[in-house]
Amino acid sequence: MEYDISQILPIVLLPFGAFVLNALIVKKIPRVAVFLSCLSIFVSFLFAANIFKDFFFSKYASDFYVHRVFEWFNLNGGNQTFSVKMGIYLDNMSSVMLLMVTGTAFLIHIFSTFYMKEDARYGRFFVYLSLFSSAMLGLVLSDNLLSVFIFWEIMGFCSYSLIGFYFEKEGAGNASLKAFMTTRVGDVFFLFGIIALWTTVGSVSFVDIYSAINDGLLSSNISILIWSFPVVTVAAISIFLGTIGKSAQFPLQVWLPDAMWGPTPCSALIHAATMVAAGVYLSLRMYPLMQAGGLLIPIAYIGAITAFGAATIALIQTDIKAVLAYSTISQLGYMVLGIGVGAYNASFMHLITHAVFKACLFLSAGSIIHSLHDHHTHAHVQEMPRMGGLKKKMPYTFIAMLFCTLAISGVPLFSGFVSKDRILGDALLMATHNNLYIIPALLGFGGAFLTAFYMFRMMFLTFFGEPRDKELFDHVHTEKLKWNQNVPLLILTVFTLGFWYSGSFSGQGLVKVYDAKYEWFQTLIKAPKISEFQNYTSIGMTEKFTSNEIVSSKYEPDEGETEEESHHAHSVHHVGAIISILIAISGILMAWLMYIMKTVNPGWWVTTFTRWYRALQNKYYFDDFYIKGVIQKLLLPLNRTLSFFDMGIFDRYAIDGWAAINRFFYKTSRWFDNVVVDSILVDGTGVSVRFFNVLLRTIQNGKIQFYFIVFIAVLAGYIFSLKPLVN
Amino acid sequence: MISLSSYLVISLFLFLCGITVMIARKNIIAILLGIELILNASALNFVAYSRFGHNNIDGHIMALFIIVIAAAEAAVGLAIAIRYFQNRETIHIDSATQLQS
Amino acid sequence: MFLNVVFSLSALLTVSGALMVVVTRNLIHSCVFLLMSLLGIVGLYVTLNADFVAATQLVVYVGGVIVLMLFAVMLTGGNNTKEVLSRFGFESLPLMGNVKTYFWGILSAITMMSVAGNLIYRVAQSSLASVLEQYKSSVDEIGTKLLTDHVLSFEISSILLLGALVGAAIIARPLGSKQLNEEK
Repeated sequence: MEYDISQILPIVLLPFGAFVLNALIVKKIPRVAVFLSCLSIFVSFLFAANIFKDFFFSKYASDFYVHRVFEWFNLNGGNQTFSVKMGIYLDNMSSVMLLMVTGTAFLIHIFSTFYMKEDARYGRFFVYLSLFSSAMLGLVLSDNLLSVFIFWEIMGFCSYSLIGFYFEKEGAGNASLKAFMTTRVGDVFFLFGIIALWTTVGSVSFVDIYSAINDGLLSSNISILIWSFPVVTVAAISIFLGTIGKSAQFPLQVWLPDAMWGPTPCSALIHAATMVAAGVYLSLRMYPLMQAGGLLIPIAYIGAITAFGAATIALIQTDIKAVLAYSTISQLGYMVLGIGVGAYNASFMHLITHAVFKACLFLSAGSIIHSLHDHHTHAHVQEMPRMGGLKKKMPYTFIAMLFCTLAISGVPLFSGFVSKDRILGDALLMATHNNLYIIPALLGFGGAFLTAFYMFRMMFLTFFGEPRDKELFDHVHTEKLKWNQNVPLLILTVFTLGFWYSGSFSGQGLVKVYDAKYEWFQTLIKAPKISEFQNYTSIGMTEKFTSNEIVSSKYEPDEGETEEESHHAHSVHHVGAIISILIAISGILMAWLMYIMKTVNPGWWVTTFTRWYRALQNKYYFDDFYIKGVIQKLLLPLNRTLSFFDMGIFDRYAIDGWAAINRFFYKTSRWFDNVVVDSILVDGTGVSVRFFNVLLRTIQNGKIQFYFIVFIAVLAGYIFSLKPLVN
Repeated sequence: MISLSSYLVISLFLFLCGITVMIARKNIIAILLGIELILNASALNFVAYSRFGHNNIDGHIMALFIIVIAAAEAAVGLAIAIRYFQNRETIHIDSATQLQS
Repeated sequence: MFLNVVFSLSALLTVSGALMVVVTRNLIHSCVFLLMSLLGIVGLYVTLNADFVAATQLVVYVGGVIVLMLFAVMLTGGNNTKEVLSRFGFESLPLMGNVKTYFWGILSAITMMSVAGNLIYRVAQSSLASVLEQYKSSVDEIGTKLLTDHVLSFEISSILLLGALVGAAIIARPLGSKQLNEEK
């Protein structure tokens, strides 16, 4: 099967072209712009499906990849070379990601035509969506950290624009700035990591980094003040900080709940499925670096803390979108935990499955919000205390949400169970090997319990029971099956079922990959073997590729392990699966008891743990700490000091001093001009002329007697001057 | 006791008086009178020197010539003054400022 | 002794005459005072043994130049003092009223008479005074010098006199009728 870049690049270029075109025509013909956006993403989806088909149902080896580079620019001079190369890198992981991104983006585009239809800025939303889609797809396809960073920043900008879409609300403006600035903090470190890698390795292409790690180039030390670290550790920490920023992990998670000020489809695409997943994708690509840097245990801890902490905050939220936002943070924490325990494959699978069901959850929430229209405030209602009993009126949304909630809670037969169970199993496995992994494992299981609980709390509060706001309930129209309201939800719902991703209940069957769709995921997505990238040479962009050896690889789940180790791993995984199922069921049971049967009173918990409750309400005081502590007490005084230096000292002395010097020169020149030139030379000439005029006029007065006097005077002078000669 | 210096003093005095007359009087004829005084003073000077200093007769000859010249000049000057008067009806010296610049 | 007296008187005449020329306002008076001064100079020449020069001065200057000046004064209406003498009495007679004139005139006449008389008497008394060395006349010498050493200036001065004569005549020519018509 022949491939060239004309089958890969349109995936990125079509949405970008739609963005450019729409930016010009959106004001005049918004409907055409909307149609163009949807069409472009659909065509990208077709291309991505084509690639997916080739990679997964064709005859490629499991570690096959397509890599093409071209040189963007170089600053070569003399015998110093500095060239910046861009390219595309396509392997199994990228193709699955492409399919997911284009598919969910397309369905969200369709949903947005329903959700944003009455909005005054209907067309502009799609402009931003197209730009965002092109950036995400570019990031997936890019082969080096620099282009990842470029697309990363474009996505940050789109997130900023979309969160602040309803810019009439003050909260939206603040939230968009907060999101941008918080991710910026991570991006600075990311850039620092890129620079560290570039100076050490000479390029930032993934394959070059892999081969450099293999060669041990990165083991040299960097000294910062008195500490010295290996370059690989410094680079890994910096790049992981980028992930922390973008994927809302533990210290920098504060922006994601505020991002719910944006429209719901934007939340679905950006803050559930794709952009926040980009951070995890980056860490997955840089997994060999993290591994070589010895960073896996801290990564596990951060992921676990995030997962558990966000789950606890989600317990008490009343806004339906806030619950989903915190659950996103929590699931991202699971993905990062997966990276930390070495479950490369499971983490990526959780990324994909989470994208599907979280997008579906957000779209369902959007559907609910859209239908709950308060006629008094003319706003849509998002608060769960005012909902209830919507099951009868919105059946299709109910079904979609139910399936997705089951998936996220980790109920077997659904996709979420497959991925989350694998992560937790690997965590448990690592905990048996290494005592340091015990806490992350415990936090992970605790978070799973809480996830099940609060997700079903949300379901029960929204759809079950009696409607708490009668008037609101009466105005809800019964849902009919509409192509752009319900159908995307249902399509996504289909993909939350587990069998798409794995063939067995526990997801641990042994199958071949060649002619079965079972376990294709686990087979084909593996951590890159860096030894294979040694002596790698890059191939030009336009060269067609010829199909490689078409060796079908067998799936060996116990590959590289001894018999005893694999048996131990299997038993631990079985234990983990059982614990997961028990936790999920108990969580759902607890929620059922609290909110349906009302036997357990949630109010008791609130009054008993008042301080905890308040802490949860204030999101563990993170916002207070950042705003009052860091910004007001640290950064603003620093800002003031620096501005004092700049304006008080530098401006005053260097700039104003220069002005004073200029004034002095001006005064001197003015004096010179006025006195010397004007008075002495110019006026002086006139004065001297007048003086001589008077003099000559008096001498030349025509009076004979005066002439005679002059004559006598001269004669006398002559005679007196002769006096010495006369003796 | 008559010495050279007495004649010189007289000559000097005459000379100064002549200059004063030339400067101070406003009538053209009066200025001519001054000129005459000056000429006479110089002639006296010549004769005095020829008697006391050189003891030859050249001073006398010079004095004669001075007399001749003075007469001629007085004649011409007076003719000019008369013509000037005929033209301008006045012989005030300050009315003859046609050379004023 | 005689010489000193003559010198003193002559000097007095000269100096005072010159001074009065400066001082008087009247133009005619200043002419007359110039005349007096010139007479004094004649006396001075006599004391310097310049007899020919003295005679020449007397004839040319006193007799010619001053008279000429007086003519010019009369022709140009120079004396503009309109002070009117009294119509009756001694002052009303023209030129007869001024006491100073009388005084000085009489004094001058007496002096001249005494000098001339004395001279004539001495000459008449003695033999040819010109034989004596100290009374030798200077005419011979002057004549000789004029025609030998200073002949050039002599000739030129004659031409000068001719020029002056002709020039003065032309300048002071009375205006012809044509000129009068043009001026009108």
